Amino acid sequence: MLKRDNQFVLQTETEAPGFRVELRGTTFRLVATGAWTVTEATVLDEELKRLKVPIPPSSDFTGEMDISGIAEIDTAGAWLLQRTAGAWQRGGLKTRYAGATDSFRILIEEVHRRGQTEKPEIDTVTPLQQILDTTQTSLTSIWSDAVALTSFLGEVSAASVRLVREPWRFRPISFIHHLDHAGLRALPIIFLICFLIGAVVMQQGVVQLSYFGAEPMAVNMVAILSLREVGILLTSIMVAGRSGSAFTAEIGSMKMREEIDAMRTLGIDPMDTLVLPRVAALVVALPLLTFMGDIAALAGGGVMAWVMLGLEPPIYIDKLQEIISFRHFMVGMIKAPFAAVVIALVGCLEGLRVQGSAESLGSHVTAAVVKAIFLVICIDGIFAMFLAGIGQ
Amino acid sequence: MIIEDGREILIRVRELAKSFGSHQIWESLSLDVYRGEILAIVGGSGQGKSVLMRVITGLVQPDKGIVTLFGEEEHTLTPQARLAIEKRWGILFQDGALFSSLTVLQNIQVPMREHLDLPQSMMDDLALLKLSMVGLPPEAAHKFPSELSGGMRKRAGLARALALDPEIVFLDEPTAGLDPIGATEFDHLIRKLQQTLGLTVYMVTHDLDTIFTVCDRVAVLADKKIVRTGSPAELQSNPDHPWIEEYFCGERARAASPAEERRVVG
Repeated sequence: MLKRDNQFVLQTETEAPGFRVELRGTTFRLVATGAWTVTEATVLDEELKRLKVPIPPSSDFTGEMDISGIAEIDTAGAWLLQRTAGAWQRGGLKTRYAGATDSFRILIEEVHRRGQTEKPEIDTVTPLQQILDTTQTSLTSIWSDAVALTSFLGEVSAASVRLVREPWRFRPISFIHHLDHAGLRALPIIFLICFLIGAVVMQQGVVQLSYFGAEPMAVNMVAILSLREVGILLTSIMVAGRSGSAFTAEIGSMKMREEIDAMRTLGIDPMDTLVLPRVAALVVALPLLTFMGDIAALAGGGVMAWVMLGLEPPIYIDKLQEIISFRHFMVGMIKAPFAAVVIALVGCLEGLRVQGSAESLGSHVTAAVVKAIFLVICIDGIFAMFLAGIGQ
Repeated sequence: MIIEDGREILIRVRELAKSFGSHQIWESLSLDVYRGEILAIVGGSGQGKSVLMRVITGLVQPDKGIVTLFGEEEHTLTPQARLAIEKRWGILFQDGALFSSLTVLQNIQVPMREHLDLPQSMMDDLALLKLSMVGLPPEAAHKFPSELSGGMRKRAGLARALALDPEIVFLDEPTAGLDPIGATEFDHLIRKLQQTLGLTVYMVTHDLDTIFTVCDRVAVLADKKIVRTGSPAELQSNPDHPWIEEYFCGERARAASPAEERRVVG
C-alpha cells in the first residue's frame, strides 16, 4: 500500500476510512479520508454502492474525487475510486482527481488503465445440462476405457512377443525390484488378512452349521472356499490397492515431470523399461502370494476349528487332505496370472494417462485401484461360470 | 518500526546460523532490507540464498540468530501477530507454486479469502485487475495452471503474491527459465509494479541483466555470511572479493552491465 508522501503514519493518527459527498459551486466532490485499503474495502464498497450517482442539472457541473484526505491507498482503494469515478463519468459528470501525490497518481492511473479491460465470459450451464453432460462423459469414458485397455493389452502382448525374440531387451534389475516391492513386501499384510478372514469364516460357519448339527462340515466349507475364492480374491484386491496404485503413482509422476518424454527421445521404449517389468513381476508374484494367502486362510480356519470344535492341528490337516483335491487348488491358482495382468495393465495405463497436475495424478491413482478391483471381480465371475460349465 | 539514517528497515536479520546435518551454510549472517528498495541476493549455488528467503518467511527455522519483521522479532510473535504479518508480504516461488486444482482467478483470490471477508464480485474484479497489472490477458483467468506456459505461470504467481497489496514481495529466481525477451519484460514489470504499488522487493536471482536493470542494491552471500552489500555499479567497480570479482567482472557481467555498454559504444 502507498502512504501519503511516504511519511510514517502511526495507526492512531489516521482518520477512519470513509468519504462524504458535497456540492461546492458547480462541482460535486467526493471527499475521501483515511485508509483506502483492501482491509477496509468491504465497508467502503457497501457505502459506495449505496451512494447515488449525482445527476448534473446542467453540463457545467463537474465531478471531483478529492483524495487529499487519504492517508493510505492500495489497488483495492484505487479500484473503488475508479469505479465511482467511472459511474459519475457515465452519468454525464466530467470527473477528475484532486489532491493526489505523485505515487498516488501513478497507482490511480494504472488502475484506470487496467480497469477498462473487459471481463472474460464464462459459459453458464444449467443444472439439467450439467447432469446430462456428466452422464454422457461417464458413458463415453466407459467405452473409451475399454478401448484403451484392449489396445494397451495388445501393445503389451506385442512387446512381450518381441521380448521373446530379443531377450536382451528385458530389464532384470527392474523386474527383481518390482518382484521385491509388489511381492515379498506384500507378504506380511496378505498373510495377516487371509489368516483373519479364514478364522472369521470358520467361526461363522461353525455357528451357522450348528443349527443342523453339521459343525464339522465348516472345515469343508473353509477349505474349499479358501482355495477357490477367498485366497485369490483377497490377494488380488490387496495387490490392486497396494501395487496397482503404486504403479500408477510412479509412472504418473514420471509422466508429469516429462521423464517419459525424455525416455522416448533417448530411444528407450517406456513399454520395455516401465510396463513389461511390472507386468512380469506381478504375474510371477501374484500366484505366489495367492499360494501364501491360501495357506494363511487354511491356517486361520485351523486355529478357529481348534478353538471352537476342539479339532487338533494334526486331525485338521488329516481332514483337509480328505477334503481338498488338487482341482480345488488349481481353480484358485489359475485365476492369479490373469488377475495379475489386469492389475498391472490398469495400473500402468492409468499412470501413462496422467496429465500435468497433481490433481490428475490423484484421480488416476483412484481410478486405477477402482478399475483393477472391479475387473478382478469380473474375471472371477467369468471363471466361475466357465469352470461350472466344464464341470469343475 | 526500525528507522536508521531516515530509512525504514522492514526486515532485519542478525547473526543467523544454520546448518543441515554437518554442512554449515551460514555462521553469522546479517542483513537489512529497507522500505522501497529492490534488493537482490546473489551468491554461488549452495550458499543458501533460497534458504535465507525461507528463514525470513518462517518456513525454515534458523539454528541461531534473530529475524525482525516490520519491527517485531519473529520468534516472539503470537499466531495472530504472525497472521497479520503474513498479510503484509507476498511470495513468488520459483515456478509460481500455483494451486493446480484452482483456476488462475481462484488462485489470486486465495489470499483474499483467507485473510479478508470481501464480497465475491469485488474479489473477481480485484483479481482481474491484478491479472491485468501483471500483464496477463483476461482469457487466462479461467485457465488452470497446467494450461499456462512457464512465463504465464510466473506472472500468475506474482498476481497471487500481490493479491493483498503487500508491502514487500519475495521473488525466488523470478527470471529463471524465461527466454531473454520474457525475462526483460518481467524485469520491467517488477520495476513498474514496485513504483506503482510502492513495493519493497527482495529477490533471489542469478540473472545479471535483472541485477543491472532493476536492482537498487545487491547483497552477496559467500563465506557463510553476507560479505558485501552495495549498488551493482559499486560492486562492479570495486569487487574486493574473489567471488564478487568473478561474478560482476566476468564475461557475462561485461555483456550485461550498462557501464560496459557505454564504454563499447563510446
